[in-house]
Amino acid sequence: MAGKTSQDYASQKALTDTLFNSIGDGAITTDGYGHITRINPTAQKILGYSENEVLGQWLPRILETYDKDGIAISLIERPSTKAFVSGNIISDRVQYKTKDGILIPVAMTISPIIIKGEPVGCIEIFRDITEEYEIDKMKSDFISLASHQLRTPLSSIKTYTHMLVDGYMGTLSKDQTKSLKTIISATNRMNETISTLLNISRIESQSIAIIKKSISLNQIIEGIVKEHTLFTTEKNIKVDITDKIPGLKIISDPNLLKEIFQNLMSNAIKYTPANGQINVLIRMQGNKAIVSIKDNGLGIPLDSQDNIFSKFFRAKNVIREETSGTGLGLYVAKGLLNQLGGDIWFKSTEGKGSTFYASIPILPQKKKMNAVKK
Amino acid sequence: MANILVVEDDKDLNAAYKIILKSEKHHVKTAFNGQDALELLQKYTPDLILLDLLMPIMGGLELLENYSIKDHLNVKVLIFTNMENSPEVTKAYNLGATRCIIKSWTAPQNLSKVINDTLKINNAQLSLN
Repeated sequence: MAGKTSQDYASQKALTDTLFNSIGDGAITTDGYGHITRINPTAQKILGYSENEVLGQWLPRILETYDKDGIAISLIERPSTKAFVSGNIISDRVQYKTKDGILIPVAMTISPIIIKGEPVGCIEIFRDITEEYEIDKMKSDFISLASHQLRTPLSSIKTYTHMLVDGYMGTLSKDQTKSLKTIISATNRMNETISTLLNISRIESQSIAIIKKSISLNQIIEGIVKEHTLFTTEKNIKVDITDKIPGLKIISDPNLLKEIFQNLMSNAIKYTPANGQINVLIRMQGNKAIVSIKDNGLGIPLDSQDNIFSKFFRAKNVIREETSGTGLGLYVAKGLLNQLGGDIWFKSTEGKGSTFYASIPILPQKKKMNAVKK
Repeated sequence: MANILVVEDDKDLNAAYKIILKSEKHHVKTAFNGQDALELLQKYTPDLILLDLLMPIMGGLELLENYSIKDHLNVKVLIFTNMENSPEVTKAYNLGATRCIIKSWTAPQNLSKVINDTLKINNAQLSLN
């Protein structure tokens, strides 16, 4: 702009400095070579370094970064490297080593600084989440303990009810058997709720145990379809499975995959009207197996589609038509798939049906950073 | 027909498993914690241990640490717990457990089936894998 004086530039720089230093979270900027160009007072306080100690220093050398288990993150895997190389905003939770050598958990977002289409550096915003970590751990421990304590009496109720139904204690009348089967069905529902709660707690604290084996997706899907025969027969829903990769074994956790596909299959059945059709397709794309479950049911209204994987979310048309459901199934399915290195997405038209796609790595994968959409 | 040691602290469940397994003609001994089980295991070698994980005095993991499965490859260990997808289950596998099932999901008839299937698994092959 014509007529700008050096005084104007000086006051503009002072304003930028003030703005940067006023950011309540830790903030660090780097140049294109990863050298620190700015650090605000909050970052200095969290990390224990003064401005003079870090300005001009190479960020990876000053700020050692570790994952949640305390394992050092390599230069190539560092969020700042990924943000700079990919040009994407990266959000993640890591641990930073302070000047005193203490590891502190931080939630961070790194954005590449782009000038005229070229990345010239990065800005990193982070906050200390030690307290959140501790609260999360307490919450997770509490849910695990509460779930276990709830399940112990439930196991007794279920075992003895089954023993009565199965004739271990003598012969029962039809009405007595029917009543006991109602008890079994109610205990199963309670068990499902406890499983969901436990899974949510473990997904959120990233403490889910993954036990990988060589497995056939087809066998898992067929098993789940078989388990739902009662419901599909009741509603006269036809389920077709097409396997484009028969005989292929993948390395993944069969129990977690069962939970994922149980959720997807039971949704497809629940939201498909009588005489409907469900098509399951197993195929391969790159190094992933893709399972799609297509129904011709209620579909998801457009204004609900963005929130479909959110916790406790239920689409409006589903609340109108169907009362049971917690709004946790898809949240859990997505959480578990992400833990297995896979993903979930869908296509849906209200009134016509939905197709849910789940991708599962064929071989085990390393943990990925969470790229945030720009 | 097999020799089965049930290790379960909940006395109702312990009694139920005994009834179910005896009806399948298995020989059943019971213990209510890992320490009692270890004492029994000093003078008797079962074909299968049906083992709970969370128990007072000595839990299932501690029992597995003390009773090395490597030295008892003919003994199958079926973990019967309510702690699904938990780190404890991973530890149990690392300590030589043959299989793990979720207690509150398992009906008595399934229990018999799972036990019969587990008895057919070869522990030596399992550890090689």
